[in-house]
Amino acid sequence: MKLGKEEVQKIVLGTLICFGVVYSYFNLLLGPLSKRHAALEKSLVALGPEIAAAKAQIKKTQDIEASAPGRMATTRQVVAMIPEGSPVAWFPPRVSDFFKKQGLEKATTKLNSEVVDKEMAGFRRMSWGIDLPKVGFVPFATAIAALENEEPLVEINNLQIDTTREDVEMQHALLTVSNIVKQ
Amino acid sequence: MALHLNLYHEVVKAKALQRRDPLKLSMYGLAAVVACFAGYYATQLLKLHSINTELGKVRAEFAKLEPDAKIAKKREEELNSQMKAGDLIVKRVENRFYWAPMLEQIMQVVPREVQVTRLVGDLTGDGLRRCQISLDGLSAGADPRKVAEDLRTAIAEKFSPTYKTVTSKFRSLEDGTEMVMLDGKQVPTAIFAINVEFFSGEEKAAQPVRKGKK
Repeated sequence: MKLGKEEVQKIVLGTLICFGVVYSYFNLLLGPLSKRHAALEKSLVALGPEIAAAKAQIKKTQDIEASAPGRMATTRQVVAMIPEGSPVAWFPPRVSDFFKKQGLEKATTKLNSEVVDKEMAGFRRMSWGIDLPKVGFVPFATAIAALENEEPLVEINNLQIDTTREDVEMQHALLTVSNIVKQ
Repeated sequence: MALHLNLYHEVVKAKALQRRDPLKLSMYGLAAVVACFAGYYATQLLKLHSINTELGKVRAEFAKLEPDAKIAKKREEELNSQMKAGDLIVKRVENRFYWAPMLEQIMQVVPREVQVTRLVGDLTGDGLRRCQISLDGLSAGADPRKVAEDLRTAIAEKFSPTYKTVTSKFRSLEDGTEMVMLDGKQVPTAIFAINVEFFSGEEKAAQPVRKGKK
């Protein structure tokens, strides 16, 4: 079969159109579609771990919240032991009353310093100086034992006992204590 | 057998030629390819639509979860901080240094020949606590220096089972100028100052070391 000039032209034109259609299909239609598909899939894959992490975080917090009441029972007990209000208002009278109850009069309490401990969120430590001008050694030691037993939030950091010249039976005691109070 | 003559052979040939027209056949082929391409495109479009819908759902879920997760993280930090503070307070209360037993032990070892004139105790450190005690006094007897020495060693022996690394040293020991009456006799005195040092409690647990990224 012999092709005429017109038919050859038609075939060439047809081939060109065919190439054009294929090129347009892949570059103008399928190309952007594939790119968008890949981008969406990437976003979808990226969101997976984030959702899992968010769910894990919520679950973790729920577990901590569930176990918190038991773990924080002691903290609540501690908080309940601390009176409301400024410690300067309640601590010195409390110390005076305590020593009076122990038979030791004239206890003077003064605030030395205040330390905010970053590890103890919601609490701070206050340092106090307690002056007991006239005490017998044995009643004083008994009072110290009682203080250590009855006031768990109070710790004695420094203790000084001196004999007095006026009365050899009596001593002058100075205590430096720190106690934990609410912030 | 009868002879047939095809007088329309040219017409038949023209029809056959028209039937096998390559342009027409290629147009059919091209149409089939285009149909396949269109079908594939439609399938891809559907896939894209479905993935888009899925992404929309996932995004909505994440948008709902993200604020909750942020609140949860904040709450977790708050709870951990509160629990840590609580644990720390409990630990501090439990690891307190008790002075009363120490005073009792001193009372037990001080003999009647000794008068303690000054006692200073100082506590330092967290966890493992270092306690320094300074004991000043007057000893009396036939050999007052020996009385003071006995007191120094007795303190060390008494404290050793209870506390760690107990050391008891004389800061000073001098003969006293005054004589005192003991058991109806005038006896010489010595003035002493003893430094006692020991440790109490447990050392703080070391923080786990985080490995840095290389």
